[in-house]
Amino acid sequence: MGKVVGIDLGTTNSLVAYVTERGPVVIRDASGDALVPSIVSVDAAGTVFVGREAQRRLLTDSSRTVYSVKRFMGRGVDDVRDEAHLLPFRIGGEPGGVVRIGVGDKEFTPPEISAFVLRDLKRRAEEHFREQGEFDFEVDRAVITVPAYFNDAQRTATRDAGRLAGLEVLRIINEPTAASLAYGLDQKNQGTIAVYDLGGGTFDISILKVEDGVFQVLSTNGDTHLGGDDIDHLLTELVLTELGTAGHGLPPETVQAIRKAAIQAKIDLSGAGETTLSVDRSPGLPDGFMRRLTREEFEALIRPLVDRTLVPVRQALDDAGLEPRELDEVVLVGGSTRVPLVRRLVEELFGRAPHSDVNPDEVVAVGAAVQADILISGRREMLLLDVTPLSLGIETMGGVTSKIILRNSTIPASGREMFTTGVDGQTAVDVHVLQGERELAADCRSLARFRLRGIPPMPAGLPRIEVRFQIDANGILSVGAKELRTDIEQTIDVKPSYGLTDAEVERMLIDSFEHAEADFEARLLIDARNEAESVVSATEKSLRHPDFAQLAGREVTPAELARIEQAVGALKAAMGSTDREAIHAATHALNDATRHLAEVMMNNSVREALAGKSVNDV
Amino acid sequence: MSAQPLTVRSATPPECRSCNTSVPVDEHFCPNCSRIQSLGRHGDYFAFLGLPRQLELDVQALDRRFRDLSRQFHPDFYYNATPAERLASLERSSYLNDAYRALKQPVSRIEHLLTIEGLPMGKSDEQAAKVPPGLLEEVFALNEELDEIRDLRQSGADPSTLAARLATARQPIEAKRDEHERALAEASAQWDRLAADAPADARRATLETLRQLLLERNYITNLLGTIEREAAAHG
Repeated sequence: MGKVVGIDLGTTNSLVAYVTERGPVVIRDASGDALVPSIVSVDAAGTVFVGREAQRRLLTDSSRTVYSVKRFMGRGVDDVRDEAHLLPFRIGGEPGGVVRIGVGDKEFTPPEISAFVLRDLKRRAEEHFREQGEFDFEVDRAVITVPAYFNDAQRTATRDAGRLAGLEVLRIINEPTAASLAYGLDQKNQGTIAVYDLGGGTFDISILKVEDGVFQVLSTNGDTHLGGDDIDHLLTELVLTELGTAGHGLPPETVQAIRKAAIQAKIDLSGAGETTLSVDRSPGLPDGFMRRLTREEFEALIRPLVDRTLVPVRQALDDAGLEPRELDEVVLVGGSTRVPLVRRLVEELFGRAPHSDVNPDEVVAVGAAVQADILISGRREMLLLDVTPLSLGIETMGGVTSKIILRNSTIPASGREMFTTGVDGQTAVDVHVLQGERELAADCRSLARFRLRGIPPMPAGLPRIEVRFQIDANGILSVGAKELRTDIEQTIDVKPSYGLTDAEVERMLIDSFEHAEADFEARLLIDARNEAESVVSATEKSLRHPDFAQLAGREVTPAELARIEQAVGALKAAMGSTDREAIHAATHALNDATRHLAEVMMNNSVREALAGKSVNDV
Repeated sequence: MSAQPLTVRSATPPECRSCNTSVPVDEHFCPNCSRIQSLGRHGDYFAFLGLPRQLELDVQALDRRFRDLSRQFHPDFYYNATPAERLASLERSSYLNDAYRALKQPVSRIEHLLTIEGLPMGKSDEQAAKVPPGLLEEVFALNEELDEIRDLRQSGADPSTLAARLATARQPIEAKRDEHERALAEASAQWDRLAADAPADARRATLETLRQLLLERNYITNLLGTIEREAAAHG
């Protein structure tokens, strides 16, 4: 058996953690960075880039670069039409069906895009385990987190993404509850906790009671379309508006440059009282853009967004039967809780300063790793009892929803409903499954339609078909049915409303194996680029070194210097291509060209060291 | 013995699927091989939680029992178990969650007692249509008042006067509700005082009282909801 990890698959960033005997560890890259931007870019040759590399391509090849895909998981085209215009990539798909994301001439579903991110995390973790000298470094199982307010379709889409990435998804757990588990590690806390989780694209509030190591969620609420992205949109729109007519029809790369500057200004204003939002000269923006932005202005702009989070908070408190001041602790999770206005409003509402002593970006992944460890070790000190965020129901006569499992029911949860036939000899009944709180079926989320078949022919109204709805510990629904008079188990064909069928997932899995080679190529290309990058920067550093000035002309000839500069230029050009061999060749050429320079620099520094020593000896 | 028409139990005790030992229906684990047992047909939340069939209940003890059983049943701890045990864990956890939810609140606790004693409440909307005899007078007065207020509102009367009238109209209904809460508590205590071997007709009479009180209570809750909506219409 391979390794087990916990993964926070975020809107903006994703990360991976695991548990050792000494406690949880967040996996970082060489520079200590744990966050992998949840960005996927596919170039014209079909090479897939993930993370920082993809993030860079957002500014150079926007239309082929996908970000914030989590907002589209388990959703239909009709849901996302409004926000499509701000995104550089194409959003398509059939009305009433799954969103499809167009990149060049290819189309991907959101789970496929997410699978690229997950595969990168998997590879990252495997590299880490290999470096640790682990013989068995393969990562094959994971706990993946989702917003607590994700519905069945969104959870299923996340699980599909895991499968597509070659991971067995042990469990889907809710982000705020995962965070509470991570907090529970350090503190022997008892009492009631509110977890306020404002991430890149989603908002969750969960109210928990912690006692004897049992983390029992009392209620949860949220908004799966509210987060830091929306703040970035507001700032981007502000710049576009101020640019007036110049802001219309800017190339997507320039819009992305503005967005990047907006994000930087947002981050600056978490620490400073004012900042400058500045965009470099870009296509369509010959003079660039610059504007001072004070925290007051920023807060006035985003206040309506932050206020929107307070509605779910009040509802969750109400459902838990608690007053804001009755809570023992308030915990902040998610990068967007760094915004001072968010902290202030949360503090005002609860009447106490919120906690954020665990890194709000990493706490969810740590919790996922802890849950993964609980599952494989069978340890029983800690237990998470979560709830289903939305009521589950079926459509009845007249398009009305009949609720079967109420929201905030502890999961696993089950419910039963009796059905019968309306016509003599009828052998099938159609059932429409819904999720949501509204009275009318049309206002709820359609989860699936299915047909109960194989009902023994009987006079109308005589069959008694019991349909069982089971929500498992992942918050995912399964359905079973039985005709009670004959004890015959019914066949059910579930057609997910906004999801992939099992057959579609299978087909994508096969496709992804076929792409595995291309992915491997992409990896090698990135490695080649990184190597080239480090050789170029080492060379440039040498040429700027103070010693170089005195050596130039004496031990390094002008002809040699020209050769080096030419080789640097050639390598930089090669790095812009996707030709891995060319990058390698140019890297070698530069290495050859600088060999003599390196020797001279080395000898010089040795000479100086020796010279220093002899002086001291005298 | 009380009649338990809706609590379907097998005539013969079920057998453990692992070792074929016969296992009493309220045992969660096989006394022989200690494997978790599949749920089968079960309808009695009190028995499932190992509690007496009583309405007065120590909520903290219930919480502890719930946490304790969750630790024994939860699917988290059956990840490496056989498929049959995993299914049993899923079913038993789901059932435990239902049982805990139903017994935690006094009203749903009474509803469950009525169900297992053979006097289920049925669909609430069906009964909501009938005015309970004990409430006829109040309902009549309230409806008249609400009609008048609606007329006044349509003719553009001062909203603050209307709000005051609504608040006044609310009072007798709220008084009725408080009266019912007390009556429910009294009937519940009476049920708890009846020993399990009390005469069947005495038990039946107490249950009928509880049922009638719950029906009226639902009706009152609906009335208060109507007043609430009317108040909301005034903005």
